[in-house]
Amino acid sequence: MLESIVIIGLVAPFVVGLSWRWPRLRAVLAGVAALYPLIALSVLYGRTIATAYARIPFLGTELSLRLTPLSWLFGIGIATIGLFGLIYSFSYMKGKQQLGLYYLLYLLVNAGMIGVVLSGDLITFYIMWEIMSVATFLSIGLARGQALPAGMKYILFSIGGSTAMLLAIVSLYITYGTVNIAALSAAMSGASVGYALSILVLFSVAFGIKNAVWPFHAWLPDAYAESVTPFSAVLSGMLTRMGVYGFLLVMYGMIGLPLVQRMTYGPVGYQIVLAWIAGITIVFGVFTAVLHDDAKRLLSWSSIGHGGYMILGLLLAGTLNLSGGIFHVINYAMSVSLLFFVVGAVEYRTGTRDLTQLGGLKERMPVTFIAALIGVLGMIGVPLTSGFVSKWLIYKGLILGGHPFLAFAALIGTWGTILYGYKLIHNVFLGRMPARFEEVEEVPWGMRIPMIALAGLIVLFGILPGIPLRIISLIETSFGVSALPTAIVGAPSGVGELNLLNILGGILAVAIAMYAIFSPTARARRAARTDTYTAGAPTPISGYHYVSHFYDPAERIIRPYLTDWCGVFYSWVGRQANAFFNGARKVYSGNINTYALWIVILLGVFVTMNLLGWRP
Amino acid sequence: MTIGLQIAWMISLPVVMILLVAVVFTGISLKVTARIDRRYGPPIYQPVIDLVKLVSLKTNVSHGVIFDWGLLVAIAGSSVALLMIPMGGIHPLSGSGDLLVILYLMIFASVGLGLSAGASENPNASMGVSRKLMLGLGYEVPFILILLAMMTYHHTTSLVALVAAQRATGVLGALRFPLSAVAAILIMPALQGVRPFDFVTAPQEVASGPMVELGGKYLALMVIEQSLHTAVILSLMVDLFFGGATNLGIFILKMTGLFLFGVLVNAVYPRFRVEQALRYCWRWPTWFALGGLIMAMVTKGG
Repeated sequence: MLESIVIIGLVAPFVVGLSWRWPRLRAVLAGVAALYPLIALSVLYGRTIATAYARIPFLGTELSLRLTPLSWLFGIGIATIGLFGLIYSFSYMKGKQQLGLYYLLYLLVNAGMIGVVLSGDLITFYIMWEIMSVATFLSIGLARGQALPAGMKYILFSIGGSTAMLLAIVSLYITYGTVNIAALSAAMSGASVGYALSILVLFSVAFGIKNAVWPFHAWLPDAYAESVTPFSAVLSGMLTRMGVYGFLLVMYGMIGLPLVQRMTYGPVGYQIVLAWIAGITIVFGVFTAVLHDDAKRLLSWSSIGHGGYMILGLLLAGTLNLSGGIFHVINYAMSVSLLFFVVGAVEYRTGTRDLTQLGGLKERMPVTFIAALIGVLGMIGVPLTSGFVSKWLIYKGLILGGHPFLAFAALIGTWGTILYGYKLIHNVFLGRMPARFEEVEEVPWGMRIPMIALAGLIVLFGILPGIPLRIISLIETSFGVSALPTAIVGAPSGVGELNLLNILGGILAVAIAMYAIFSPTARARRAARTDTYTAGAPTPISGYHYVSHFYDPAERIIRPYLTDWCGVFYSWVGRQANAFFNGARKVYSGNINTYALWIVILLGVFVTMNLLGWRP
Repeated sequence: MTIGLQIAWMISLPVVMILLVAVVFTGISLKVTARIDRRYGPPIYQPVIDLVKLVSLKTNVSHGVIFDWGLLVAIAGSSVALLMIPMGGIHPLSGSGDLLVILYLMIFASVGLGLSAGASENPNASMGVSRKLMLGLGYEVPFILILLAMMTYHHTTSLVALVAAQRATGVLGALRFPLSAVAAILIMPALQGVRPFDFVTAPQEVASGPMVELGGKYLALMVIEQSLHTAVILSLMVDLFFGGATNLGIFILKMTGLFLFGVLVNAVYPRFRVEQALRYCWRWPTWFALGGLIMAMVTKGG
């Protein structure tokens, strides 16, 4: 069954790509290819499987696939977001160029991700990781223009990470003679702390780059903002989170928590150092997002920031933190994919995603508006959305674990999320609508369905968080750490005070009671759009929409602190490399005369040396 | 507490608090402010007249579904938050949420108001919301540090437990966390949204900001929401720093004391601009709150 998921995943993209002549057939094939892992994984719920599929004689090792609760959760996330993105693409990409290549790469990226989470040994893991990375690189470049350098940036970072990972894999193979993750897990429990730390740091570079942890974040904003929108959703929803999967796999599944906890030298330790980096990532990412007016760029920076929450959650290893961190992967994937779908939908109908050009679309695109609202609320983590539960677990874990400053970073990051979340909603859907959008229509059903489904999931898991948390406690059991006790509507009494059904009931009761009391006493008149109070100031007939520099006073204060020195540094390195290669191009000009000149000059140098009597 | 009594409190507590803040406190504040200005001031029951007038107005102007329900949802969020805060031993919903949930329900209310104001299609309202969220960012920095000091010291996120800890040791939060208490006093006006931090809703600024399109019953709803918000802030402070109370009467007395402090500040201080408010919040209150947190971490011991 596992083999079939991976093989179908890897073969189907090429079949789909080759059926360029028959768009209908291509759609059906792509749908089947995206649906199959979802169905297969659903059937395999709760099972742990390991199968060897090939033997490499010259390495004396077996290649294998395996299914653990962790890979199940990530796999189902990948398959779900992948399927929704595909359904969305059918409408969104209609009439665009190079569709065959697009579907090929889209499915290949998803297959690569599924392969990563299902691999049972590090060689398979590495190969799948590279398939995923290269396919991603090509997909980012599909949009052309600005996307080409963005893709180049991505692949350069990615290669750096892969190299570090390969080094670690080779070292592990030389030391233990195996690449099987389960076997390594048993073997590494006796490893020295220093060796385990060096392995972990190498893997951390690879996974930190993939998850865009500060200071390795520089590739992400360009890559997300410039790639095709449905692909941005996959990229931000699950692909970046492969880094989190990697951290979980190596930290908990391979090296094991006891060993990681011994990696301390005085007050400084692996966990606490990386936790602070995650804290910086949150604050830096989230507040940079506030400064942006391009909707996709805003969401990209938000992805960087929220990646920090996940790393913060899984590093500090308390059960609350860990559950929150894993749960946040799922929640953020749902929210951010939904919001990318929303931004794509708005761009599809209005032709722009610039937050200073839109406005008042809530009545023209009601479904998109509600989806955007739920997505933003889920991202902020407002109670009754699933984002709240994961953030609550992370905060509580940090506070009870005695890390108030990290808790501060996480809590203030949420205020940053409110700022940019409200800006996103307000500038696109609320306020005064520019007259040119009078004729804008809601997007087609193919784009609505994924948005409705994701919004529904966010609310469902927000009121009944026990459903995903039960799987997360299975994961914790499989890691050998204490599992989170779960209750269907919140936290059981041993964990803390949280009952979302009561909160929902309370809010509904009060809101409906207020409506019932106030609605009949005086029936309201629905005001026309232009019928607003201007305090006596003369305004044009179309009115004003307050969008430009939405948080100007705050932006002016925080902007100097948010200079992206890492980005500046990488650009500097890029420019230097460019200058060096340009210089090298003058030497290797490809012109035979130049080469002849070099030979003559060299001979001249030798002759001169000879004449001066200087013989080394 | 029996289920019946709990439900009775769930229904009556928000009503009591709305009446307390919207009618009694507002009446007192009008009178006190007037006396500071050496005016006679309106009668103490003036807020009742205002509310009755607002609710009975025939003309009510709506700007759509989001405009209506944003306000209602904000009121609901604040009410539920109120029910989680122990008030003189009464806390019908505290088992459903801790201090973090209360913090987030306050956000819930802010977002509700923001949506309602944004839906009113008036740029003044949008500007007001933008200012409101920026002010939130301003005071939230010291406020979070204050809460973290207490939660770290007592190793709990439950507000009920924080109150119980003060009762058990007999040491008020204000004495155990003096630096945090100073920070809290410094940002109280910002939390309540009164002068010098009233640039969000001041009529002279952006035509009342988020409230610009509200009239009639909508303005009445807004008054209710603001009263609930004030009640949440005051009762939180009473619980965190002044040990809560054994019964509702004493609790309300303590709230009144804190409210009067806000009235006095409001009466004599001029208004900040947005960036001045942010810089203010991120200087002294933040330093004090940070000091309080470090002190809490040092003195925590075992």
